[in-house]
Amino acid sequence: MVSLRVDGIKKTFVGEHRDEVQAVSDLSFYCEEGEFLCIVGPTGCGKTTLLRLIAGLDKPSAGTISVDDRIIEGLNDDATLVFQQYSLFPWRNVINNVSFSLEMRHVEKKKRFREAQYYIDLVGLEGFEKAFPHELSGGMQQRVAIARALAYNPKLLLLDEPFGALDERTRHRLQEELLNLWQDQKKTIVFVTHNIDEAVFLASRILIMRDRPGSIIEEIAVDLPRPRDRRSKAFLDLHISIREMLEKILAGAQ
Amino acid sequence: MLVGIPLGLLVGRFVLFRRLFSPIIEILRPLCPIAWIPFALAIFKTYTVAEVFGVRYTTSIFGHIQLGMLFVIFYGGFFPIFLNTVHGVKSIKDIFIESALLLGANKNQLFRKVIVPSSLPTILTGLRVGLGVAWMVIIAAEMLPGSDAGIGYLIMFSYELAEMDILIASMILIGAVGALLSYFVKLIADRTSFWQAKER
Repeated sequence: MVSLRVDGIKKTFVGEHRDEVQAVSDLSFYCEEGEFLCIVGPTGCGKTTLLRLIAGLDKPSAGTISVDDRIIEGLNDDATLVFQQYSLFPWRNVINNVSFSLEMRHVEKKKRFREAQYYIDLVGLEGFEKAFPHELSGGMQQRVAIARALAYNPKLLLLDEPFGALDERTRHRLQEELLNLWQDQKKTIVFVTHNIDEAVFLASRILIMRDRPGSIIEEIAVDLPRPRDRRSKAFLDLHISIREMLEKILAGAQ
Repeated sequence: MLVGIPLGLLVGRFVLFRRLFSPIIEILRPLCPIAWIPFALAIFKTYTVAEVFGVRYTTSIFGHIQLGMLFVIFYGGFFPIFLNTVHGVKSIKDIFIESALLLGANKNQLFRKVIVPSSLPTILTGLRVGLGVAWMVIIAAEMLPGSDAGIGYLIMFSYELAEMDILIASMILIGAVGALLSYFVKLIADRTSFWQAKER
């Protein structure tokens, strides 16, 4: 487990007309080790940019990001990212996708398959080891993506709206599975979503982002007991108060 | 194939190579391979493969393969293979590269485990087209003066003797062999790129 500190980061992109677009500005937060942090905000508020910066895929224009007080430069080795879109290698079957990171570390084939099998079972896909991504449903593909990320054994797991494209039932089931994984595997998780219900169900703390430029405007510790009941009054109250905050942001933007 | 694929991989991947090669390639590409035949004949004369290796008089097939022909075949096959490889490498989705890097792949592994397999279907398409072009160019090369064997030579020869039956039989044979060659590459392609057509 690791802690994550994001300190005053700023990211500007050069737009189409050579003007600068600020994707995120002056954004800071701290994430304790073992925390399940959800970041909620309207579409286009720089959530994905933020995750890419934490993963080290992009460099912040200003500010620093540190994992366990080590400032990251270049790719963040402690973290891996589950993308919003399907990112499985289509030419590899499930077990070869899941064991990709082990193969990169030159783990012997037998051993890496055994380890991959563990994660495949964990996400409930036993029997699909030899299947190729195009043969799987969207929900199953995202499970493989999560298993692949877990097999890398990251100390920090970043998820970018991983369940965004799924139907509600599948989404709820995968949320529960993710919570079980988080509790068993003791990982620090940063989960980005625009779905309030999802954030309230999963998070130990929620950060709310505004857009243009992306920055954090509110922080809510969620201390509802787990497993959380979506129909409980406390759950609904929290849901409504976050919704009101987000509506205020959207109203302010117009 | 041996030159086109590696060069294509490099040009597709590295901007430096792309800048270096693309002006040369853009000039050479529209030049029809057949237009090279007289030039190739002038440079390589009518040396055959057998002669190059020091065997003077032979009736084997090497005695009929001229260096100039090999050059033109290479030229005809090179561009489809090369250009398709470049295209295959350039059209890899960023998400595959980023996923691989985030899962701990180094530069070398990225190349071997992600870039090559993901561009393989396009490379094989290039191979198929390249083989087709090379086949056409062989026939054309055999029709030219200086050639003393080959099915293209046979066509010209039967034309001069007004043997229409041989001429037409040769044409059918050319078509059949071309189709067969293409079919073989397609067999390999179907086995290795089954995932591409079905990818969502």
